[in-house]
Amino acid sequence: MIQQFAEWLSQTSLSILIQTHNAWVIPTIQSIHIIAIGIVLTSVLMIDLRILGWAGHDQTLRETTDRFGPWLSWALLVLLVTGISMVVGEPVRALLSFSFWLKMFLVAVGTLIAAILQITLKSNEHHWEQTLVNRRAVRSLAIMTLLIWVGIVILGRLIAYDYVWGSWSLRPTA
Amino acid sequence: MDIAGFLASLESSNLATGIRDSLYLFPLIESLHVVGLAMVFGTMVIVDLRLLGIASIRRPFTRITSDIMKWTWASFVWTAITGMLMFITNASVYYHNFFFRTKIALLALAGMNVVIFELTSGRRVHRWHKDAAAPLAGRATAIVSLLLWITIIFMGRWIGFTTSQSKAPQDRDINLDDLFTPPASESGAPK
Repeated sequence: MIQQFAEWLSQTSLSILIQTHNAWVIPTIQSIHIIAIGIVLTSVLMIDLRILGWAGHDQTLRETTDRFGPWLSWALLVLLVTGISMVVGEPVRALLSFSFWLKMFLVAVGTLIAAILQITLKSNEHHWEQTLVNRRAVRSLAIMTLLIWVGIVILGRLIAYDYVWGSWSLRPTA
Repeated sequence: MDIAGFLASLESSNLATGIRDSLYLFPLIESLHVVGLAMVFGTMVIVDLRLLGIASIRRPFTRITSDIMKWTWASFVWTAITGMLMFITNASVYYHNFFFRTKIALLALAGMNVVIFELTSGRRVHRWHKDAAAPLAGRATAIVSLLLWITIIFMGRWIGFTTSQSKAPQDRDINLDDLFTPPASESGAPK
């Protein structure tokens, strides 16, 4: 079913438009995607380092998320737009890839964690600043969040090499 | 030894052969390269935006750099090592590639830009580090830095599209991709 959808998508006029200008459109979109990834990864890094107490001691957690939260959200939006463009431009390459779906799952988890932090921090600032940042579970979650985003970046590149998953690969074989 | 011989010896080294012969090493190294460059770029953006007075302006500049620059340097070393590992697998092709050469030249310019910053605004950093923005020279190097790193990312992606790597069996089987294959000399390049 995914394959049928991918093939249908590849026949749409937008997809064909991208395919015709493939030589420069795809690398351009990918480059913008990577630039936005840099913003996302380091924004998450700075927030997590603040939770861990390894950076930003002179700032409250709220000040740190106020600085990096908006950049994180906007960069995620850029990733979504460029990501969708890549799927539309090369539907089979993207959708028939194990890396892609694992990546999408991790993106959902990573975004959910970031959203929960933003929301609970706003409604419960004192508790976060005084207690939660010192909890071992919260600190472990900070490290895990960082690893999730690093994993997302790696999986993104591996979409080009789906054969590395062996029999789990979703690539159609000739 | 001439350059062609040197490149050929890099390609035939055990390390390069090992990476080429593995189905997994090149994709893994390339992925780790992207993680590293994303970190270099993202941390540089934080510093440059601070210099320009756009973000983190209430924190002293020196605070930001002491928090961040160690991550920038560690990521840079990481990215350089993974980059060199990719380079040796196909050294003579990369060496003659226009985008690779441009990227290396721009990296050199980025290094010179850091030196220029250190010799100008960087010298008197304690006079302005609590100001909202750096003096003119510092702001100018920040803009140059942002432009260089963005272009370096573009060049890097173009290298992947214009050099052929020994293997990438995955794309051969996708007939839809074949509708818009690059020129024959480039087929099989991992994208």
